[in-house]
Amino acid sequence: MQTAKREIAVSMTGISKRFGPVRALEDANLEIARGSILGLVGQNGAGKSTIIKVLAGIIKPDSGSIVINGETASTLTPASVEKLGVHFIHQDRLLVPTATVGEAVFLGHEIGLGPFVSRRAMERKAADLLKRFFGMELPAGTLVKDLTTAQQKVVQITRALAQKASVLVLDEPTAALVKREVDSLFDVLRRLRDDGIAVVFISHYMQEIEKLCDRVTVMRNGTDVGTVDPRVTPIDEIISMMIARDVGEMFPKRAVELGAPVLEVSNLRLGGSFENIGFNVRAGEIVGLTGLLGSGAKEIVQCLFGLKTADGGQVRVEGRELSLSTPVKAVRDGIAMLPEDRRAHGVALGLSVRENISLASLRRYSRTGMVSRSSENQAVDGLIKELSIKTPHRDALVRELSGGNQQKVAIAKWLSCQSRVYVLDEPTVAVDVGAKVEIYNLLNRLAGEGAAILLLSSDLLELVGVCDRVLVVYRGRLAGSFSGPAMNSDALLAASSGARSNADGVAA
Amino acid sequence: MSATVLHTEAGVSDEKQAAAKSAGRRFGALVVRLGAIAAFAAIMAYFVIFAPGFTSTFNLINVVEQSAILGVLAYGMTAVIIGGGSDVTEGGIDLSIAANMGLCAAVYATLLSMGYGDFLSVLAAIAVGMAVGALNALAVVGLGILPLLATLAVLNVAAGMELTLTQNTVVGASSPLLGVLVSGSFLGISALAWALIVFSAIMIVIVHGTSFGLRLYAVGGHPEAARAAGLSVPFYVSFTYVLSGFCAAVASILTVSRLSASTPGSGELLLSVLAAALLGTVFSRRFVPTMGGTLLSVLFIGLLANGFQLLNVSSYWVNGVQGALILLVVAITSFARGSEGSR
Repeated sequence: MQTAKREIAVSMTGISKRFGPVRALEDANLEIARGSILGLVGQNGAGKSTIIKVLAGIIKPDSGSIVINGETASTLTPASVEKLGVHFIHQDRLLVPTATVGEAVFLGHEIGLGPFVSRRAMERKAADLLKRFFGMELPAGTLVKDLTTAQQKVVQITRALAQKASVLVLDEPTAALVKREVDSLFDVLRRLRDDGIAVVFISHYMQEIEKLCDRVTVMRNGTDVGTVDPRVTPIDEIISMMIARDVGEMFPKRAVELGAPVLEVSNLRLGGSFENIGFNVRAGEIVGLTGLLGSGAKEIVQCLFGLKTADGGQVRVEGRELSLSTPVKAVRDGIAMLPEDRRAHGVALGLSVRENISLASLRRYSRTGMVSRSSENQAVDGLIKELSIKTPHRDALVRELSGGNQQKVAIAKWLSCQSRVYVLDEPTVAVDVGAKVEIYNLLNRLAGEGAAILLLSSDLLELVGVCDRVLVVYRGRLAGSFSGPAMNSDALLAASSGARSNADGVAA
Repeated sequence: MSATVLHTEAGVSDEKQAAAKSAGRRFGALVVRLGAIAAFAAIMAYFVIFAPGFTSTFNLINVVEQSAILGVLAYGMTAVIIGGGSDVTEGGIDLSIAANMGLCAAVYATLLSMGYGDFLSVLAAIAVGMAVGALNALAVVGLGILPLLATLAVLNVAAGMELTLTQNTVVGASSPLLGVLVSGSFLGISALAWALIVFSAIMIVIVHGTSFGLRLYAVGGHPEAARAAGLSVPFYVSFTYVLSGFCAAVASILTVSRLSASTPGSGELLLSVLAAALLGTVFSRRFVPTMGGTLLSVLFIGLLANGFQLLNVSSYWVNGVQGALILLVVAITSFARGSEGSR
């Protein structure tokens, strides 16, 4: 705890909110100090986003009081909150795609004379702000839809700065950014903090919290369980505050006897991406695959999915050679796949949990061509319970679930197919800690039932914790295969950056 | 948890890729826009060469006058599409606008024939037009009915009321205002043409020069973003439907002046109005409806009908061509939008 006197910008005390039977917030408190960066962490469903929505005036709390810059705010609306100087950088890039950068920055606070706007002044001033705060120069009149994800994020922050924000709340701002962009974002946030702005930073990435924040408020089950200094309190301790269980339990161990090879890949090659890739995955085995972006690891998985067509080589499942030309064929050949972008390929957001789960396996519930609803319901309810998917009921839309639960639905879809091979592409990205553990448990269970699992991930701790063996791809070739004590994150990192190769020889 | 996530050096290539993608998209949009303009130019060139009298001053002024009614209606439709978003199925659309004009014309002509003066009759027509617009707003914003369905229902309400009022007959009308509109002219330009010019100028200034217009685009382009910027989305959307009703009322006075009567069958204009408002988007760099683009399309559609007439092609063809244009524009814009939705 710091003893320095801190000026409080926002103080929320005793906030409670119920949605029907669900208690979203219970006597939650949040204190945001001027000139500091406050991290807000917690699992999905812990109440982070609810308390932020209360502050944003989007959700009305059942009880509690909010003081902003010394003023007691009785009823908050999005407009009144902004007037008090509190600005939100939402996770979704809330910008009008067909607007120019200047229009997007000043929407709602246009520059001009009376009812008339001066587009030129808005463009010029937006360009000034972008240059001053971010050193960013864009061609005049650039449309928002032509910007990269990171640039759009920057435009959103500029929007808040243009309106003299005194409190800036960022919800998962780094989710779509690469490292270099994250670094420059952090520089900007530190500069804003030094200018006396209160910054709230919500993130799933603990190392970002550790690097950036002065204080961290941890939420669990709708209330704040503590506020600590991340430079003093170790990350492990913060994580255990979030999940109220030991981190050691995060990667559940298991003992499975490995069977015969189920997935066999040999001599796989794709021009420009990788060549001479050979490995196999045995029944009951979880094999990790990793590599830097551009190393070819991702492309290998995409070839197995049938999203890309390999130039040569063989892929066998239980001895049968596959022609992996389209995803449809890959599925028919018994490969269950979990693509990285679950929103685009993994689940149908507009369909119910039940429909999503039974989509890939409808044939199993239908004898006469008609779907037998009762056997379908039974199977779906079983899976919901088994994976502890948090959904009000089986007919709730997947859109309404949290990210981790959407991912579980995507996995459940394949479980109901009873595939022999599972290929997963970054299944735990943007998923909270609790759901991660549940996904790991699930992988273990599948392996225990004799499935062969290939897990592509860039989270080295996850690979070490979950896999029996990890394959590292470097510049299109297998640079190493690690297992047992040789399988640690230092070795994996060294191999994937080309610094060292081969611990126990490449299994070809 | 993810303490040692591999960080990538891929930022640069990512950015390059995005830049290339957006450059490709901009190029595609440019091709579509230039293609559309070239097609218009080719059609016009054909008429100039082969349609007798097409380029005469008399004929061109005639086209502008004929376009006045279509133009005023198309501005209303354009405003609704801007504020409601140009999504083909869920976006803003006012199918009732032409029928509303018919109803307003009937009210105006009937009141005149009953001896009420211009002032009261015009006021009543405008009140009725805006009331129908408010009904659309209530159905779309208040009840949350899809604009396509809501305004289709209101279309029938308006058409039914018009028939009830006129008993499906022609109601003749004459008044000082109509006299000025029919035969008045200023600087050699007729009153009807002036009506289009003035109305166009007002609409262009409001939609493209004011912060109100800017916000209208934001509301239609990304309602969530508009809400996050503190704008009242329901207010803006409702406003567009009432404005559309107002446009219908103004157009009704012009149509009564042209025909010296209120006549049944004004609903047939709907297709042209829709074609003009949708076609206008191809003139915009951002592929959004604009008032200037709508004006160009209105004149284009007017010239198209006129050219067909001069070539002795049946006017029935014009309907077919307009329908084809709507399909083409909607297909092109959904295609352009589909390719950018994948991010």
